[in-house]
Amino acid sequence: MAAQGAGQRGARDPVQTEIDIRKVSKVFGQGTAAFHALTDIDLQIRSGEFFTLLGPSGCGKTTLLRVIAGFEQPTGGSLQIDGKEVAGLGPNQRPVNTVFQNYALFPHMTVAQNIGFGLKMQGRPRAEVAATTDEMLNLVKMEEMAERKPSEISGGQQQRVALARALAPRPRVLLLDEPLSALDLKLRKEMQGELKRLQSETGITFVFVTHDQEEALTMSDRIAVMNKGRILQLGSPHEIYHSPTERFVADFIGDTNFLELPVSAVEGAEATVTLPGGNGTAARLPDGMTPRPGEKVITVIRPEQAHLVEDGPADLQAEVETAVFFGTDTHVHLRLPDGQGFILRRQNVDHMAEPAPGTRVGLRLSPGALRVLRG
Amino acid sequence: MEATKERHGWKWLLCTPALIVLVLAASGPLMIVLIYSFLTPGNMGGVNWEFTTEAWFRVFWRRDIFDPDQVTWNEAHLTVFWRSISLSLQTTLLCAFLGFPTAWFIATRPPNSRAIWLFMITIPFWTNLLIRTFAIQELIRNNGTINALLLQTGVINQPIQIMYTDFAVLLGMAYVFLPLMVLPLYAAMDKLDFRLVEAGYDLYASRIKVLWYVILPLVKPGFIAGSILVFIPAIGAYVTPRVLGGGRTMMLGNLIALQFGQGRNWPLGAALAMLLLIIVVTALVLYLRWVNREEVRRG
Ligand SMILES: Nc1ncnc2c1ncn2[C@@H]1O[C@H](COP(=O)(O)OP(=O)(O)OP(=O)(O)O)[C@@H](O)[C@H]1O
Ligand SMILES: [Mg+2]
Repeated sequence: MAAQGAGQRGARDPVQTEIDIRKVSKVFGQGTAAFHALTDIDLQIRSGEFFTLLGPSGCGKTTLLRVIAGFEQPTGGSLQIDGKEVAGLGPNQRPVNTVFQNYALFPHMTVAQNIGFGLKMQGRPRAEVAATTDEMLNLVKMEEMAERKPSEISGGQQQRVALARALAPRPRVLLLDEPLSALDLKLRKEMQGELKRLQSETGITFVFVTHDQEEALTMSDRIAVMNKGRILQLGSPHEIYHSPTERFVADFIGDTNFLELPVSAVEGAEATVTLPGGNGTAARLPDGMTPRPGEKVITVIRPEQAHLVEDGPADLQAEVETAVFFGTDTHVHLRLPDGQGFILRRQNVDHMAEPAPGTRVGLRLSPGALRVLRG
Repeated sequence: MEATKERHGWKWLLCTPALIVLVLAASGPLMIVLIYSFLTPGNMGGVNWEFTTEAWFRVFWRRDIFDPDQVTWNEAHLTVFWRSISLSLQTTLLCAFLGFPTAWFIATRPPNSRAIWLFMITIPFWTNLLIRTFAIQELIRNNGTINALLLQTGVINQPIQIMYTDFAVLLGMAYVFLPLMVLPLYAAMDKLDFRLVEAGYDLYASRIKVLWYVILPLVKPGFIAGSILVFIPAIGAYVTPRVLGGGRTMMLGNLIALQFGQGRNWPLGAALAMLLLIIVVTALVLYLRWVNREEVRRG
C-alpha cells in the first residue's frame, strides 16, 4: 500500500493535503484533574513538505505527534491521512512511521535487522527485505555497521539507523520527535543537512518536532508555533520570523524589541503609530485588528531592522547604554527617550568603532518592519 | 587492562564473608552426605564405617532377595526420578505461562500502585507452606470446595479425583513457586523500555508480533532467572508431593526422606541426595549452554 503511494508521489500536486487535522483536542485525565494537552488543533500538512512543530517544553508537540501516529486517541475532532479517516486505526495500520526522541532501536537486533524490521512485519518477501535494507544502509551511509548491535555504534550513527528504520517501509509520512536533541552541536548541524537531503531524496512528508527556533527556521518549509496546546501561528520561516502576529511567537523566535506605542491613525491593515520623540511611522496590523486612535498597542521590530544614522534624518533618538562585540556583528543596547529599552544589531564591516556608552545616536527603522501584535 | 584486573581483585575481597558462609554451611554437610553415600547402613539408622558402593548401586538397580546375583532395574526409583524431572519441568512451564501475564500486568500499572501489587504477590510467603498446602487440599479433595460446587451446580454427578494425582502435585507446586517466576520476570519488564514496544507497533507489527519479536527476547533474562528459581526447589520438593500426592506420587525429596526415616538406609538416602544435586547441576549447565547458543545463533 505504502509502496504504491511512493511510486505515484512524483506526479502529485505539490499542495495536496497529506494530513488533515480538524478541531483535534486531547484531554488527559478527568474531572478536576483533566489536563487539556491539545485544544482545537486545525492543521493541513501538505504532501512532501518539511513541516515543523515548534514550541516550548510541555506545549503538546509530542502529544500531537502521538495522535498522528496513533499512539493516543484524540478526545475530539477528526484526523485524515492521505484522504482516509484514521480514527480507530492502530499505529501498525497507519502509513506513518516515527523516529523516536531516544531512537528506540531494538537492542537485541543488529543494525540491519533493525532496519528490516518494518518490512518483515509487513510480510514482504525475504529478498525484498534484504534489498531494501541494503538500500537504506547505503542511503544513511551505514553499510559497514550492518552487523553491529545498537550498543556498539555512536549516538549519531544510532540516529541514522533510526531514520533508516523508519524510512525503509516507505511511509507516506515520517514523524520526527526532536531527533537531534541528543546530539552535540557539530553533529547536529551535520544531521540537519542529512535530514533535508533524505527528505528531498525520498519525497516523504516530514513532520518534525523541535523546541530550537534556529533549527526550525533553517530546515522547514512551514512552521507551526505552538503554546499551551494551541497553534498560535502557521507560516513559512520568513512569515514566522518577520511577521509574527502574537507576542509569544515574536518572543519565542529570535531576539526582539517590543515597543508600546500610541496609535494616531488607522487605514486598512496599517496603523500610524507615534514613536518616542514624536515622529509618526507606519505599522502593519494583524488580520482583523482595528485599534482606535489614541489606543496604545504593542509593536515589534527585530534588532537588525533598526540602523544607526550618522547624519541625515532619523526616526527617533536614543542613548547608548552598552555595545557588545560579537565578531560578525555588534549588539547595541539603547535607551529610548520615554525610558523603554531597545536592542540594535549592527553588521560589522571593516573596522567600525563601537558606539561609546552615553552617546546620543539617531535611529532609522527599516520601512515596513514595525508590526502591531495581537492582544 | 592492569587497572580493571586490580578492580576485579577488590570485588572478590568483598564477597569473602559470603564465601566463608557458603563453604562452612554448604560444603561441609555436602561432604558428609558424599562420604555417607559410600558407607554401609547401620541397623537402627545411621552408618557403619565400612566402604561400599552398594548404596549407589541400589539407586538404579535391585537385587533379588533370594539370589543377590540376579540384578534388575529399580523401576520404583526410576519412576520417581522421571516423575520428579517431568513434574518440575511442567511446573516451570506452567509458572512461566501464568507468571508472564501477571508480571506484565504489574509492570504496566502506574508506578505508585506497582508496589501494592508486588506486595500482594508476596503475601503467600507470610503463611507456612504446610498450611497453604493443606488449604489447597481442602479445595481439591473429593468432598472439598471445588467438587462440592461442581456437584451442586450439576456440572458433574461424581466427584473428580484430583487429590493424590500428579496433577494435584503440579497444581500445588505451581501455586507455591509462582512468585519465584513473577518477581524476576517483573524485574526484567520493569527495565524494559516501553518505547521499544511502541516502536515495534509503529513498524507494522501486530500485538502478537510485538510480543514475539520485541518483548519476549528482551525479558528473556527474567525467564531464565525465574526458570532456575522454580525448577531447582521444585525438583527437590517435599511438602507439596507429600500432602497432595500422598504415598502414590512420590518425588525425589520424599524418597530421600523415606530412606532417612522408615527405610533406615542412610547411605542410600545420601546417594539419592547426591543424585538430586547432580541432576540439578547438569540441568543448569545444559540449560545455560542452550541459552547461550541461542544468543549466539541470534547474532
Ligand atoms: N499520558 C499523559 N497523562 C497526563 N498528562 C500528559 C500525558 N502525556 C503528556 N501529558 C501532558 O501534556 C502536556 C504536553 O506534553 P508533550 O509531551 O506533548 O509536550 P512537548 O511539547 O512534547 O514537550 P517537550 O518539548 O518537553 O517534549 C505536558 O504538560 C504533559 O505533562
Ligand atoms: Mg516532547
